[in-house]
Amino acid sequence: MELNDMQLDGLREISNIGSGTAATALSSMLGLTVDLNVPRALALELADAVDAVGSPEDEATAVVLGVFGDLDATVVMLFDPESAATVSALLGVDPSDSEMALSALSEVGNILGSSYVGAMGQMAGLDLEPRPPVALADMLGAIVASALASTALDTDFALLLDSEMRVEGAQCRFGVLFVPSADGVSRLLAGLGLAEAA
Amino acid sequence: MADLMARMAEIAVSRHEADVLVALGLGSCIGVALLDRASLTAGLAHVVLPESREGSAAVPGKFAAKSRLSAVLVGGAQMFATGASNSLDIGRRNEQAVRTALAVAGIPITVAVTGGSTGRTMRVHLESGIVTCKQAGSVEETIAARGVTTLRQAA
Repeated sequence: MELNDMQLDGLREISNIGSGTAATALSSMLGLTVDLNVPRALALELADAVDAVGSPEDEATAVVLGVFGDLDATVVMLFDPESAATVSALLGVDPSDSEMALSALSEVGNILGSSYVGAMGQMAGLDLEPRPPVALADMLGAIVASALASTALDTDFALLLDSEMRVEGAQCRFGVLFVPSADGVSRLLAGLGLAEAA
Repeated sequence: MADLMARMAEIAVSRHEADVLVALGLGSCIGVALLDRASLTAGLAHVVLPESREGSAAVPGKFAAKSRLSAVLVGGAQMFATGASNSLDIGRRNEQAVRTALAVAGIPITVAVTGGSTGRTMRVHLESGIVTCKQAGSVEETIAARGVTTLRQAA
């Protein structure tokens, strides 16, 4: 699938609105300011997709959330070990209790993910429903590749909408990835009025 | 020594003793290594989906003498279940598809470190013929040496 600049801009914009809403939700949950960078919309070959997100063997903690409704997608929130520990601590959970920490993170992921896809769906006029989140700690490559495999289906190409958030005054930054299915990319673009190549 | 990366849906092949074929962070994907027992030649495919073009056993075609080949499989984990119908058990279905393709090609599987819910990194050392597997948060282990399994619990 070839995407033109206008389509990539539109996808970046919708991701900006999704992550902006999510950052606000997280901010009120933590009582701290959450900063957001300008998201990236990346159309990549599968082989390049994992490297674009990070080093495949790095340890990562992730919250993975399926999206269903008018399109299939996967949202992956990726924390490095330090940031994962910080979030747990901010929520009053002892980071060394890995089970409790994962459960706290999955609650954060739930709130972030639902507000992200909710705002996105509203903007594109699509009904997007999040599924319950799954939290895990593993190799970054294994997490991202599995999310791509479960969503990207038979296409050789992957579209990633990648935002980075930072909690002000705390050692905490993390990425939010939105991975739509190939069919889902078309539906998102149609919802934005960008279906036709411009 | 050169690390030749087999990234998602890629195949790395070498017959140089200084090379190491590497698949980093295999989750539901499967690393399929084929080793020639009589020479230094080896290949490593990073299979993503059970029915993708890349998964259709493209590697055996790169070798002359199939009867000398043996395979080592790593990966095929169920990292998470997102509830989407097509995400169910991709790891297991990948393993089945690879096993079927290898059986059709007549290539025996020496050892398979597959399933579970953990990511793995796989390395094929051309010089020694050793295949290693490292699970997330664990140490690198030798699982096969020149077509002979070194794992007691090997499937």
